[in-house]
Amino acid sequence: MKFGIFYEISVPRPWENDIEHTVYHRCLEQVRVADEVGFHSVWAVEHHFLEEYSHCSAPELFLTACAMQTKQIRVGHGIVVCVPQFNHPIRAAERAAVLDILSDGRLEFGTGRSATWTELGGMDANPDETKETWDEYTRTIPQMWTNERYGYEGRAFKMPTRAVLPKPYQKPHPPMWVAVSSPGTEIDAAERGMGSLGLTFGGFAEQEEKVNRYRSRIRDCEPAGLFVNERVATVNFLYCHPDNETGIKTGSRLTGSFGYLAAQLLPVREVHPTRSYPNPGLLAASRQQAEQTPGEGASAPEGVCIGNPDRLVEEIKKWESCGVDQINFLLNALETIPQEQVLDSLRLFGEEVMPHFVDDKPSTTSEPRELAASAAAGGD
Amino acid sequence: MPINGNADPGQLTQYAPTMSNLDTEALTIPNVKVLNVIYEIDDSVMAELLPPALHPTIPPTVHVIGMRADDGPLGAFTLATVRVGCRAAVRPRGLPTRAVCTEGEAATALTERWGFPITIGEPVLRERYDRQSIEVNDGNVTVLSAQLIDPVPIGNGDLLYTAGMHVANVERDGETKPWLVQVDPEFEVSRADRGAAQIDAFDSNFWDAPDLRPVYPIVASYTTANITLPKIRYICDPLQPAISGTVAL
Repeated sequence: MKFGIFYEISVPRPWENDIEHTVYHRCLEQVRVADEVGFHSVWAVEHHFLEEYSHCSAPELFLTACAMQTKQIRVGHGIVVCVPQFNHPIRAAERAAVLDILSDGRLEFGTGRSATWTELGGMDANPDETKETWDEYTRTIPQMWTNERYGYEGRAFKMPTRAVLPKPYQKPHPPMWVAVSSPGTEIDAAERGMGSLGLTFGGFAEQEEKVNRYRSRIRDCEPAGLFVNERVATVNFLYCHPDNETGIKTGSRLTGSFGYLAAQLLPVREVHPTRSYPNPGLLAASRQQAEQTPGEGASAPEGVCIGNPDRLVEEIKKWESCGVDQINFLLNALETIPQEQVLDSLRLFGEEVMPHFVDDKPSTTSEPRELAASAAAGGD
Repeated sequence: MPINGNADPGQLTQYAPTMSNLDTEALTIPNVKVLNVIYEIDDSVMAELLPPALHPTIPPTVHVIGMRADDGPLGAFTLATVRVGCRAAVRPRGLPTRAVCTEGEAATALTERWGFPITIGEPVLRERYDRQSIEVNDGNVTVLSAQLIDPVPIGNGDLLYTAGMHVANVERDGETKPWLVQVDPEFEVSRADRGAAQIDAFDSNFWDAPDLRPVYPIVASYTTANITLPKIRYICDPLQPAISGTVAL
């Protein structure tokens, strides 16, 4: 089991007094502590226009800052929006390669397509097309990374033969992931040999079904990249406190605030009926977390990692038994939890929860850093 | 936290009915034609359109809805409604500002039993092969003209209809005051089309939504559905956040 931290970068109103600057730098401080504590990765979303919920519109910059201030922690795009109106695929490939170089081969490359009208409408993108464009991106970006020159003529874009530069530091390229929020997307990830980057807050039974479908299908995959990244990550909340009741109560403020904010956005399906978005995805799932009034939670929902270390160990063992390889934790929303408490929670998790878990799960994934180091040393 | 509405509930009651009995039985109206034209609206007035219990969506929206039933338990009727998209806590909802219905049993029932803010008029829902439209005139003035253009079939399950929060003067516990009455109809869709949304005329003052300005088309849908109007289960105090002000009946 690996552990990551996951950023939406939620900024409360009023947006004055340098609040965005403050929140960003608090996030960076958390990342530095997470690196010291031994977290595996830091992930940052790409969202646009999502007031208060996420002010993380340039994750590649945030992740670069993370990489520059840390030593071990991997940096993850969670995710790059693979829609032309958001990111041209060549630019996505170039930026990722630079981030991989600057981080000494620590990039995890997540892909996805956005689930809100707030964003797709704002970018004048057609919700009907996003599955198709995402598919093209996942096929072509690894080719741009691994071929000296590359040309392409497709549906979402075309390019005459050019050298897309620089190339990633990790060889053959960084691990690739798919954001999984809609049911069935884990199959899309498996069929393309990509990691399943869960972004919804489901229960154990739902997750176990997803994992089983993923593991079963990935055996026969046709990898989008040059290797298979068979890993299942899920997202969760984290608030760890020595006193269980305090941990749950404080953590419930976090889960409630996050779900409440998410519900204010406009999922595609609510206003733009399309088969491309069969359900509201992240937003509906997160609403389940907001059924309680923020701050009034007395018990923690199944699987949510809030409470004392013993409770967290117990819950994470259950996730592990569902076949989950990695949990990425959301640490705050709307600055509901004071920074010092967030940092204390991270440290306590590192001291008393992490030692109960080892990463002994065999994976078909080549360890990217070893490959990168090998390539840099002239190995095969 | 998200922006709350700041309209005085008393200002939202110009067309609100009085409901003396909330013990409404469910009723199914078969084969209703439903046109739903959705636009983003000017955000400068979004808070003024909603009571404090509700949040505007991000971005704020308006739904122009035309319905026509050719027969059924309430007889034939045509109904045009303007609804502001919103959230009651975490729930997707719509607040009707005004509705216009043809005269008859339907207008009475929809007003008295489900709190639609209806005035009597002659809305016209037209179905053509290349478009569907809803039009409402006030005397010689067209106060609403909205259409779906270039319909293409979509799956019956692709549509999502949200519940309404109807402002009504509710007689309860010996007191009559404005409440938000939750009306969450079930739609059993038998045919669905989707097309471009276009609003050609919209008089915000007529629709009791001062300064509401549709500014950016999202999409329009046109369906045939059996609509079951529900038994009323919840009402909400318009002055309190819905998460604490909702009352189960």
